[in-house]
Formats: sequence, structure tokens, C-alpha cells
Amino acid sequence: MPRKASGGLGAVYRKEILEVSRDRKTLVFMLVLPLVLIPLLLQVMVDFVAEANKKAATETLTYALVGEEHLPGLSEALDGVGGFERVEIDSVEAIPAKLKAEELKFALVVPEPLGESQQSIVELHYDNASMTSKVKARTADVLKEFGEGVRAERLTALGIRTFSDQSAIIAPVVMVERGTASMREKLGENLGGILPYMVIPFCFLGALYPAIDLGAGEKERGTLETLLLAPVSRLRLVLGKYLVVFTSGLVSATLSLVAIGGWFAIEGPKLAGELSEITASIGAVDLALVWLMLVPTTAMFAAILLSISIYAKSFKEAQSFAAPFNMLCILPAVAAMLPGVELNWKWALVPVSNIALAIKELIKGTMDYSMLGVILASSSVVAGVLLVFCTRWFSRESVLFRQ
Amino acid sequence: MLEVRRLVKVFQQPKKKKKGADASAADPRERGRSFHAVDGVTFEAPGGKITGLLGPNGAGKTTLLRVISTSLQPTSGQVMVDGRDVAADPLAVRQRLGFLSGNTGLYGRLTPRELMRYFGDLHGMDAETLDARINDLAGTLGMQTYLDKRCDALSTGMKQKVNIGRTLVHDPEVIVFDEPTTGLDVPAAENILALVEQCREEGKTVILSTHHMHEVERICDHIVMIHEGKLRFTGSVAQMREVSGCDTLDKAFLALMDAEVIDAA
Repeated sequence: MPRKASGGLGAVYRKEILEVSRDRKTLVFMLVLPLVLIPLLLQVMVDFVAEANKKAATETLTYALVGEEHLPGLSEALDGVGGFERVEIDSVEAIPAKLKAEELKFALVVPEPLGESQQSIVELHYDNASMTSKVKARTADVLKEFGEGVRAERLTALGIRTFSDQSAIIAPVVMVERGTASMREKLGENLGGILPYMVIPFCFLGALYPAIDLGAGEKERGTLETLLLAPVSRLRLVLGKYLVVFTSGLVSATLSLVAIGGWFAIEGPKLAGELSEITASIGAVDLALVWLMLVPTTAMFAAILLSISIYAKSFKEAQSFAAPFNMLCILPAVAAMLPGVELNWKWALVPVSNIALAIKELIKGTMDYSMLGVILASSSVVAGVLLVFCTRWFSRESVLFRQ
Repeated sequence: MLEVRRLVKVFQQPKKKKKGADASAADPRERGRSFHAVDGVTFEAPGGKITGLLGPNGAGKTTLLRVISTSLQPTSGQVMVDGRDVAADPLAVRQRLGFLSGNTGLYGRLTPRELMRYFGDLHGMDAETLDARINDLAGTLGMQTYLDKRCDALSTGMKQKVNIGRTLVHDPEVIVFDEPTTGLDVPAAENILALVEQCREEGKTVILSTHHMHEVERICDHIVMIHEGKLRFTGSVAQMREVSGCDTLDKAFLALMDAEVIDAA
């Protein structure tokens, strides 16, 4: 029977895709997880941070004031702004215990000043371990305004009456910051660092179940031997299977990116201040380039997973072999988050880490595009080598008929 | 027609641990790290006949059949399937060979029709011929009622029929049945045997590997018996009884297990 040059590969691909599309477990991992989990994760994260900030900014702070006679007007200043509630205490010694019991959020202690019209010290006692606490900021705001009032009075008494004269005395020289790092760069450093954690695992997860099914699954069901008897070279069989695993991983990774992009498009404008600006500044081209980074990443994972799966004798064995390789997608991404690690020519050659770093740069908007080429090329070479290994592996009797 | 000439298949083994040393001395197939699973086997299986392949468990039957079916490479010797060398031209051999094993599974998420179409596609059949062939086989095997149900949902007997359909979809010249009735009930096993005989009627070369002596007595024209990788007997059922001096085939089997090569034919 005459055969086309590509004979068999297409048949394998079509059949495996059909089977994968009928497997509920695979579909959940490939389609549902990225589309549901990612927006959920983002929403929960943002909501949590926003909620914590809002609570800290608006909650009523109970406070104690000791030595108010040394700084007249302070008590009235605190009463004048909302959100503060005074609690009477007996002595300074009681402050630590009351702070610990959360009866007080903070206490202000004013020691006796050295003399008339001298500088007053106000001690702030509070729990400075809490990250979301706004006690210091809110108290400082009140004290600053109060202090400015006292200062203006004293300057006026000295004969410096106008606001501009007073300003010229207080701050004769003012530095105005014109930093080169845009807000996008600063926030992109954080957001871009998180993004690889969200998308790279899906290159792996999306490919995992199809890979196990297409390799170890054939052994476990006893269909592998029959398949090997088809008049199709083993290279074409394994390539057909590989392409299906690759497709699944890429679909999953793409959907995770779509979920992220979609979420920011819908929720981004509602975000507070700078975060909404940065999400608006990330364009479709940036996301397309991030996607491009995921292609060789998925190609690598697919080759590794399929090799493991072909070697394993059963689903179970394949799963336990594949588990440590989870690290393979997490650890290099962690490396990219470490302080001091920046995209340079050396890091551009480290598989997966380079992808994570490139994604960060793309989000920051500071990508060096020649570097992008190097990363794509080096990742493609690694993926190619792994694929060659996978196809050789599939031709070995000791692997296919492992006892 | 199937010709096997001085076939040897050697597996390399991992280094033995100390405790296995006694056992390895007892097995003549182990030489150092090499294991001679098939050791110089020669026989012929003519077309239009059923050749029974006999031997106890671990005799090397499965390895022999895997070499014949090209899933393993011969270490030395030659195997010709319908005039094609398994080592030199494995793809041509696969075109001419059908292989059915008792423990072959199916793709549970495909229907019998899709499954047969897949293997037809792999054999490079054109769509029209393939569809006609599938309908043909469905008729012969009585699969019409479940041709479009998922294989997962089928009974053991139905699955075995689907497997037969899959084996024969490309109309092979040489058909190997490797313990095809193992685990089947009487009606299902009878169906298979009837099919094996039908293949003979059509002039195909049929190899039947089995442990059931009554099956051998009933349908085999020719017997090839191996043990510990070596050929022990070739000839007809009658010759097997005659040579061994036993009245039942089971006894003859035991008597010939350790015989020097007897070529009764």
C-alpha cells in the first residue's frame, strides 16, 4: 500500500486529541483550572489586600494621652479629626499591657519640655510588628498638622507673617524627584515576578495528564504492543503523541494567560491608583510576547513528561515519577524572584529561569529585545534536545518492554 | 507463510545480586549477563494451516512472537513473514501481519468503529475501503449493535470481538493469536476458535499460541513446541502422540518438554 511521507503521524494526532478531549480529568486540569483558578486567585488576593488597607485606614483607633498639659491643644487636635477614641489610663506603666490586650491601639506620651517655646517630644507607643497597621501614618498626619499650626503661630509672633515668607524660612531648598524608573517599572517588578508562578505551572499541569495517558496509559491498558505493530515508524508514533501533549500544555498555558489578561481588562480599572495604571499600560503585544515565551517552555515540559511516562509501567508509577519534576517549573521561577537576579546574558541561557525573567521584563516594559531572541533560541534548543531524547527513548526495547 | 531460521534473542540483564547466584546456575539460558530467551529456533508455518505454538510459561513464546511481530529485534537468525525480513523491512512485515493477544486492551474512550478506523488509518488504508471493511467485519463478528458505543462500556466478549476486528482490519496474510481465549467464557472462546478456523479457510497463515491442549487437538494442523528458548518438537498432533508414546496431548507435552529437538515433519 502506498503511503504518504507523513503517514501515521496525523492519524495518531487526531486519535489522541479525540481521546484527550473525552477525558474529564484532563479537561479539568487543562481548561477549567486555569480559567477558574486564576481569576479566583487574583480576586481573592486583591480583595484581601484592599480590605486590609481599608480597615486599617478607617477603623477607630483607641488611644491614651499622657502629659497633655505639656502640649496644649494636642488633645483638641486629635478630637478634631475622626477615627480616634480616647481611653483614660492611670499611669505610663500601664501602657504596654493595655497595648498587648488591644485595649489601646497606641499611646502618646508628652514629657515635660525643657522650657517655654522649646521643641516638644511626643512618644508614640504602638505595635510596630503589624504590616498593615496604619497607626503610625495616621498619628503622624495629625501631629504634623498640629505642629505646623504651632509653627505658623510662632513664626507670626516673630514677625514673619505671610505663608511664602514662612515657606522660604522652613525649606529654603527643595529637591523634586525625577526618577528614571517609571511607576510601571516599580510595580512591574512585583507583578511581573508573580506572573511566571501563575502561567508556567500550567505549561506543566496541562501536559501532565495527557502525557501519562499517552505513554504509561498505553502500557497499563495493554494497547502499546498493538500500536507498535502498526506499520508506522516509532519516530512518527512518538512525534504524534508528543504533539498532542505539547498542544494540551500550550492550550492550558494560553488559557491561563487569557484568564489573567481578561481579569485585568475587567477588574483592572477598578483597582486603586497606580495598579490600574500599570495594568492599563500592559498591551496586547506584551502579552503576546509572554505567550511566545510559553511555547518553548511547554515544549520542554512535554518532552520530559512524555519520556517519564513512556518509561513508567503504570499511571501510578508515572505520577510518582512526574511529581519531583513539579520542582522543575517552580524552582527556576523562584530563582527569577530572588533579589539581585536580573536578566543578563548568563541568566538568558538558564532554562525556565530565563523565561520567568523575560516575563518580568516584559511586564515592566524594559525588555531588551535582542535578549528575547537569545532566550527563545536557547529554550528552543533545550526543547529540541529533550525531544530527540524522547524519540530515542521511545525506540528502546528496554524502555518499551520494561519488566 | 512464516519462516523462522536459527532465531536467537538475547536480553542483557542487570548485574545479579549475590543471592540469585544459585538460581542462575540452574537456568541454562543465562550466560553471564546475557539471557538467551530464544536460542536457535527454526520452523516454518505454511499458509492455509494453523500452526500451534506450545510451551510452558516462560518458555520464550512471547519473546518469539514479539520478534515475529517486529516489536523486538532479533539478535541473530532470520524471520520471514510472507517473504519479508522482520529485521530488514519491519514496516512491510507489519503491513502483512495481524496480532491478537489475550491481554490486549482497547482505548476505552473510543468506539469500536473509531478504534478500527484508527488502526486502518495507521495501515494507510483509504477511507472508502476502510469503512467498507469495518462494516464487513461488524457483520461477520456481530458487532453492529455496539459499533458506536464507547469500548469502556462493553463486556469482555464484546471487547474481544472488537480486538479481532482491529487485528483483521487491514486484511493481513499472517495472523498471530497469542493465548486469545485466556479469561473468556465458553461461548466467547468458541467464537474465537471459529474465527481462527475461518482465517485458515481463507488461506491465511495462522499461528496459535495456547495452553489449552483441547484447542490444539481440535484445530491445529501443525505443532511447534519450545521450552527454555529451544525447539523441542515440530510435527502434527498425531506425530506428537506417536513420538512421545503418550495417549493424551497433555502427557505428550510433559514428555517432550525436555526432549532433544525432534523434527517429525
